[in-house]
Amino acid sequence: MKRFSRTPAILAISAAALFTASGLALAHHGAAAFDTDKMVTVKGAVTELVYTNPHVQVHWEAKNEQGVSEKWQGELTAPNKLTRAGWNKNTLKPGDQITVSGNPNKNSPHTLWIRKLVGPEGNSLPLFED
Amino acid sequence: MARTLTLATAVTWLVWATSISAQAPASSAASAAAAAPKRDLTGVWMIRNPAGMRGYAGATFTKEEPEMTPWAIAKYKEAKNTNGGQYDLETTNDPVVTKCYPPGTPRVYFHPYPFEFIQTPKYVLMLYEYDHAIRRIYTDGRPLPPDPDLTWMGTSVGRWENDTTFVVDTVGFNEKTWIDRLGHPHSSEMHVTERFRRTDRDHLQIDFIITDPKALVKPWTSTFYAELRPQWELGEISCSGDYLEFKTFEK
Repeated sequence: MKRFSRTPAILAISAAALFTASGLALAHHGAAAFDTDKMVTVKGAVTELVYTNPHVQVHWEAKNEQGVSEKWQGELTAPNKLTRAGWNKNTLKPGDQITVSGNPNKNSPHTLWIRKLVGPEGNSLPLFED
Repeated sequence: MARTLTLATAVTWLVWATSISAQAPASSAASAAAAAPKRDLTGVWMIRNPAGMRGYAGATFTKEEPEMTPWAIAKYKEAKNTNGGQYDLETTNDPVVTKCYPPGTPRVYFHPYPFEFIQTPKYVLMLYEYDHAIRRIYTDGRPLPPDPDLTWMGTSVGRWENDTTFVVDTVGFNEKTWIDRLGHPHSSEMHVTERFRRTDRDHLQIDFIITDPKALVKPWTSTFYAELRPQWELGEISCSGDYLEFKTFEK
């Protein structure tokens, strides 16, 4: 298991291990901007859910190892797909505690392509339609 | 504006590719399948190809390269698609990604969004959720136009070959689109035939026959599979839109 330790708040897991465990396989690499070999997990509080085209955006804040609050942002899929998975624009509200796992953007490591999102009630929210 | 979609498109596609790869082949799910209604494709459908096609079907029609003319081979070499991870926001020349061009027919099937058939007495409408693409397929017996104006989605006529097979012929494409996400080119002489075969109530088989005397040495054929999604409704997807700003974030 790879280590990716920017701060203690960030847990590192290898993307390959995750996909294997979940039965998924990356057939192709389409997202050149994201480092799909890295997966980071960040806990924080939602500042904004932007339920918009082309892709839904989540903004949150998380404390780094010095206890300083840092801004994070991440992308989900299109709003239509999330709606079919049960979301709406009020699914995440400012202040909601979330745990986000995703691939970091190569040029902006606090920007994630979100692969897993545990919501305020502790359950993993569905990120895809069936 | 359009550039911002590069990532959105690529990510959506990759998410789709990974999500479908986790699913069982459509055919194996057909236990006690209800019979297809007669001459009726009405409803919302989603492409769900079997696992064996996962290696290519998110991006192109066949595992093997089509037989292209020298003209097409030269154009194909110029294509910088976003699927292999080699070209990013700055370097791709994918017309959908860089310019928000409509995907065109048949590339629209490579965008991972559902489509809907609406049947009227004189034409069938195909609504594709992706970027509001629409096709009007005339079923009033008119022939294909001999010298059509050139459009993104083409001009279509359709006929029922039997009670469950609807055959659509489409011509009159401009040359601004790619056939697929890999960048295989076509000319304005492309002719696309789609045979929509509703094999049971919930499953649709789409046989594609693509001919183009300027680009293809012989017809390019493939079969895709779709599933009915009775609970789904088409929503709004736009290519244009604000997007996460990467370069200025954290600065």
